[in-house]
Amino acid sequence: MAKYIFKRVLLAIVSIIIVSAITFFVMNAIPGGPFNKEKATSAQAQKVLEERYNLDKPVPEQYVLYMNNLLHGDWGVSLHSGRDIWGEISSRFSVSARLGGMAAAVAIVLGLILGALAALTRNRLPDRAIVFFTTLGTAMPSFVLATLLLLVFCLKLKLVPVWSSSNPNYVLPIIALSVYPMAYITRLTKTSMLDALNQDYVRTAKAKGVPNWKVIFKHALRNALIPVITYVGPMVAYILTGSMVVENIFTIGGLGSSFVTSITNRDYTMIMATTIFLAILMVIANLLTDIAYKFVDPRITFD
Amino acid sequence: MKKKLMSVLLAAAMVASLTACGSGNLPPAPAAEDVAEQATDAPAADVAEAEATPTNADTNILRINLASEPDYLDPALNSSVDGGCLAVNSFAGLYTYDESGALIPDLADGMPEVSADGTTYTVKMIDSVWSNGDPLTAQDFVYSWNRVIDEATAADYAYLFDVFVAKSDGTLAVETPDDHTLVMQLQAPCPYFNDLLAFPTFFPVHQASVEAANPDGDVPGKWAQEAGFVCNGAYTLQEWNHDESMVYVKNPNYHAADTVTMDELHFMLSADDTAIYAAYNSGDVDYIDTLPNDEIASLNGINPEFGILPQLGTYYVCFNVNDPMFDGKTEEEAANMRKAMSYLIDRQFIVENIGQTGQEAADAFIPAGMSDGNGGEFKAGVSYYDATKTGADMVEDAKALLEQAGYSFTDNGDGTYTVDPAINMTYLTNDGTGHIKIAESIQQDFEALGIKIEIKSEDWNVFLEDRKNGNFTVAREGWIADYNDPINMLEIFASESGNNDAQLGKGTPVSSSPKWDEYDKMIDEIRYDTDLAHRVETMHKAEDMLMNTGAIIPIYYYNDVYMQKSNVSGIYATVFGMKYFMHAVKN
Repeated sequence: MAKYIFKRVLLAIVSIIIVSAITFFVMNAIPGGPFNKEKATSAQAQKVLEERYNLDKPVPEQYVLYMNNLLHGDWGVSLHSGRDIWGEISSRFSVSARLGGMAAAVAIVLGLILGALAALTRNRLPDRAIVFFTTLGTAMPSFVLATLLLLVFCLKLKLVPVWSSSNPNYVLPIIALSVYPMAYITRLTKTSMLDALNQDYVRTAKAKGVPNWKVIFKHALRNALIPVITYVGPMVAYILTGSMVVENIFTIGGLGSSFVTSITNRDYTMIMATTIFLAILMVIANLLTDIAYKFVDPRITFD
Repeated sequence: MKKKLMSVLLAAAMVASLTACGSGNLPPAPAAEDVAEQATDAPAADVAEAEATPTNADTNILRINLASEPDYLDPALNSSVDGGCLAVNSFAGLYTYDESGALIPDLADGMPEVSADGTTYTVKMIDSVWSNGDPLTAQDFVYSWNRVIDEATAADYAYLFDVFVAKSDGTLAVETPDDHTLVMQLQAPCPYFNDLLAFPTFFPVHQASVEAANPDGDVPGKWAQEAGFVCNGAYTLQEWNHDESMVYVKNPNYHAADTVTMDELHFMLSADDTAIYAAYNSGDVDYIDTLPNDEIASLNGINPEFGILPQLGTYYVCFNVNDPMFDGKTEEEAANMRKAMSYLIDRQFIVENIGQTGQEAADAFIPAGMSDGNGGEFKAGVSYYDATKTGADMVEDAKALLEQAGYSFTDNGDGTYTVDPAINMTYLTNDGTGHIKIAESIQQDFEALGIKIEIKSEDWNVFLEDRKNGNFTVAREGWIADYNDPINMLEIFASESGNNDAQLGKGTPVSSSPKWDEYDKMIDEIRYDTDLAHRVETMHKAEDMLMNTGAIIPIYYYNDVYMQKSNVSGIYATVFGMKYFMHAVKN
């Protein structure tokens, strides 16, 4: 196990380096630059800034310099706002992760319960209702859902403010973030649960007189988890890093919009940081997913 | 595509309870907001009726949305209008503006004493302190101003200090005979100098804070990156949740604290017009100046909370004079081609159906309302064509100009013509519904003479680069003046200017590229002219020369929209877009 994890970590470092290199060169290849403004920055100021941030050097050299700084824990400063990148990422991530963590928890718990319920009440009313709502949930893009939530709960029912400087409300954004993954997990759980319920070991357990709840939770649901775990790993990594649409509509200072605005602004240091950060989270999520397989299904080995 | 889907879905969802939306779009006004505008401009979540929208009862707190988070709160580094608004409410300079737009002393003790030749300004200062209680002296100004022009600061607005005489060590010729007196040496009389002294880039910054936050000087704006920094204006920033909110509270150490009527300013940091408009309609925000384009038609003239502010700026279309299209022509022929196309554009249609906020169709580059620096309005009596008549009424004039440039026409029998040889070109714009609608309107106008344009919409950053480098034939442009003097707009086209997208006097010229030395000479002359009447004359000559190239096609003069709750009063703005909230009253 330890050997396996060690191997995976090494592999992860290699993938992150590859991701960072591709991002660095692609980002420098796209037209535009970090100091383009409607009212042009003077040539002199532009030169000072380029020198300060090493942008006057050849791109491969810039990459080496960047990676060297990164190895020493220096993520640099934003070319756009002069802010410390690490401070920026960590403060924004703490907001996104709090929201995303709650949304992921809601999605997983409700998704599993609803999925199991749908499988157990197959073709009856609860199943039909769940299928209807999960289809809606997977079909509706988050920007539509978020706007509808705003319209209904803030403007019509006036239950929560659209924006507040004192106590930002996280309920609506959590709903907006969790509906899609919840619907998806419900459908995955239902399908694999139905599959598991038809397996011989479930029939055997039932024949042996094992209580019904035990059959469902211990034998069926546990075996139905594998496809769900496969989906949940990367989903959590995405949801923790935020969503631009949800953040914009609910005025939340999360990390999600940084992915997009950093590219619009050609804020090179920020583009690199957000990409590498997401890559690291992704690699961790995948590693945890693989380890989780082992716990759920002891037949899986790491060789 | 996404936007369209959104509209359809929302329309279906809202149909039961809401009134119909207009379909017009407002071409966005100020520069800084252009990028933000691309983020989301879905239809708003609610439609205001003519009756008042709900208000909130916190009469000591004014809740405002100006834009998303500004890049810099350091007044030396900020170059956005919304950042400027934050600066005027939290920093105090030598001068400021009152409700009528008149320049009044802030830290200055009276108006400046100006020498007979207009080049020496002496300003006495009142006693005042920083928000931390430190005394504020004339030396603070000297430090702050020299910091702006320091190369290491790399401030966008450093050029505003070009009016000063530079000492041999590169610093500004500003002396402080005592702690409360500033003596400034200018290169030449500067009619707008008092306005500069009220501009955020000229506000003082607290030297000890700046140096403590960043001893190396490699991140000049570091001291003002979080709440709690030292300032000297009406408010201090108490709390800042990035991209969510800012809480400014009254600064008890502000020298005019007794005139500040609003205790706290809470800013919603968002550029999402759906969210902003929803927050306004729910009563969570009292003042907004970003509106969903589709709502303007249903508000303008209908809802008393909707208002329009004048602005000094021009939306225009710009030709690249070095484009191969103009190669092989003489200077005059190329100018005639461009002027002909200017005549074909129906400006009145654009302002009425696309702009929709009562913008004035433009018949000159320098906008209406701009001062001439010698006591008059520059634009008075200046008109290069009848802006209300361009379009269908001027097709024959345009045709005649193009014939002079060597084109011939065949009548199609339906009021349109086919031009020979064919004219095909690409119109460059950035994404943004308003800009594209204007492009489409122009495309249709050009059909009258069989001129074909293809509209190419680019990502904002690439658009700026292509425009700057002259990688276009014709492109949309806009300029909001930084100070009230025509030179601010005329110098855009000096050949060394980084904003000279028309490529006048630079790049690789073609046979018809205008000779531009004389223009550069005029710009220099205007900058250093000691005779203000003569200066006005030269500026008119420069505008004539610019308009004669036909490279600049003014479309309309900008204005700015806002909404303000019925229980709020006392907010005012300058023509440069700075908004002052400290004298606001909420009932």
